[in-house]
Amino acid sequence: MKPYFENMERFGKALKQARIKRAAASAEQLKQTENDTEQLKKNVEAAGFSTEKINQRGVMTVWQRIEYLVDPGSWHPLHSTYNPLDNVEGTTNVVDGLGKIEGRWAVVIGFDNKVMAGAWLPGQSENILRVTDLAQRLNIPLVWLVNCSGAKLPEQEKFYANRRGAGTPFYRHAELEQAGIPILAGIYGTNPAGGGYQSISPTILIAHKNANIAVGGVGIVSGMAPRGGFSVEMLEELVEKTREFSASPPGTVATHFDQTGFFSHVCEEETEVLDGLKEYMQAIPAYQARFFRVGTPKEPEFPIEDLYSLIPANQKEVYNFDEVLARLVDGSEHMEFRPDYGPEMYTGLCKIDGMLVACIGNRQGYLGKGYPEYADYPGMGGKLYRQGLIKMNEFVTMCGRDRIPVIWFQDTSGIDVGDLAEKAELLGLGQSLIYSIQQTDVPMMLVVLRKGSAAAHYVLGGPTANRHNAFTLGTPATEIAVMHGETAAVATYSRRAMKEKDAGRPLQPVVDKMNALAEHYHDHSQPDYCARYGLVDEIVKLQDLRSYLQAFAGAAYQNPTSICPRHHMLLPRSIKG
Amino acid sequence: MATEVLVPLAGSIWEILVEVGDTVEEDDELLVIEALKMENLVYAPCDGTVSEIRVKKGDTVEDDDVLMLIKE
Repeated sequence: MKPYFENMERFGKALKQARIKRAAASAEQLKQTENDTEQLKKNVEAAGFSTEKINQRGVMTVWQRIEYLVDPGSWHPLHSTYNPLDNVEGTTNVVDGLGKIEGRWAVVIGFDNKVMAGAWLPGQSENILRVTDLAQRLNIPLVWLVNCSGAKLPEQEKFYANRRGAGTPFYRHAELEQAGIPILAGIYGTNPAGGGYQSISPTILIAHKNANIAVGGVGIVSGMAPRGGFSVEMLEELVEKTREFSASPPGTVATHFDQTGFFSHVCEEETEVLDGLKEYMQAIPAYQARFFRVGTPKEPEFPIEDLYSLIPANQKEVYNFDEVLARLVDGSEHMEFRPDYGPEMYTGLCKIDGMLVACIGNRQGYLGKGYPEYADYPGMGGKLYRQGLIKMNEFVTMCGRDRIPVIWFQDTSGIDVGDLAEKAELLGLGQSLIYSIQQTDVPMMLVVLRKGSAAAHYVLGGPTANRHNAFTLGTPATEIAVMHGETAAVATYSRRAMKEKDAGRPLQPVVDKMNALAEHYHDHSQPDYCARYGLVDEIVKLQDLRSYLQAFAGAAYQNPTSICPRHHMLLPRSIKG
Repeated sequence: MATEVLVPLAGSIWEILVEVGDTVEEDDELLVIEALKMENLVYAPCDGTVSEIRVKKGDTVEDDDVLMLIKE
């Protein structure tokens, strides 16, 4: 299949100086947003005790452990600013991302031991479930850095119980193990109760010599049965018991290495725990990338910095999606699927690090006379019409057959509306696309380049595709909402305005409410909001986008659950004709 | 010989990016038409010099109106 893949059709053009000049203010705005996001990430990193204070105790921070554990330059953080329940700590208290360990991709997650000794906090279980989903979708190991003091007791009602509560990750761990996905755990510090189950539920447990894991910690063991209140005498008794149990907490290595044997290894030094994880990573099944490469890896023909000039911060300004893609894929080469059909959508095969990926993205701007063919109004990119939906259904279905991971790029205002659109079956074709995605069972990722709106955000491989979407990235231009705020204000208040007018009352109060709603939409759809509440898994700098695509492709091809030999693939033949 | 730059999509002139006498290359950005709530770029169809601009900012334009001429 070398003639198909080694050198595919080149696309894209060098940027003109006039474009760079005209986009200068927009580029500056995008970079400012990136800087703001970066500051939020630093705030999370600085939460709790200082690194110095932790180190003075002879302990590494979770950030230092990750840095030691993963191969240099391979760390791709996710959920950095995720804090869906607005914890005062500013974090869900786990740090996670994709990284290579000893040359193999893994999903890595660790408790932030600077914040309440790595306690469970509200929103944390949802964060962990995103991470276990990620490991499952990519079929790569999950590596835990456990250092968990258990529940933050004053807020337990927000996370302890519930269907997707703090205990659910233990079931997910079991699911991963059932699926043959190993979970490696390095264990540090005191891990009582929930921390104990965080420690015991993985596949391989490597403990630091000072680690302990237990069903209940000192705080519970030394406690007493409820007596309807507290008194000083009772507290004196409690102090003595606590002193006694603190000297010999339950579940130390003396118990769980020497007696139960739960710990596979016990290490003198913190770094030895990490070295142990590295050794186990060397032992897990993983193909080398060359097994699946269809071409020699190449850098894109054009600099990634161009993205700042190509993607306008102004949501109303159109741009050329193909030029964006040409800055992201190997050699700026592709094989486009049905270029003469469904012009609002790009569908094509590209390479990332020499591995085949399918790319789907919204094209922008006027779509030309006579399109959509079923209507008497002009078509505009960003919207989905009949042909584009049919094309994506076909493309995705063939990607499933050929086992090709899919990368979606969204900048969509929605699916075409109106009775003509209904007669053109767009409602059915949108749901058909969901069915087609569900049928594929290949890893997918999404980049919300700018707008993610209406049902189109769902059908274009959105995070709602729970079993398929490995992760979703936002950019400094991302804006996610069911519709634009002004559109929402019109939809909400147009009838009210009519009634007020007919009653002879002033319209200004309605105007004020409409403006307030539009502003609310704006504030609740911007990049930092999307990351905080999990609408995306991370906001990344435009200049880092290709690196995340490389992480996705590398991880997706590391140990796929099924293979289509390249010479059995149908999609490239269908494109060639 | 002058090439006509036509309106691809009815709307209003949002911004004019060139002046008479400017040298342009094929695919250079010439002006922006606001239509269907979006700011749409109109590109040069050929290399040449802008010899005449027939619209100004704010004008309403219809399909296939002549926006400007480019002398090759």
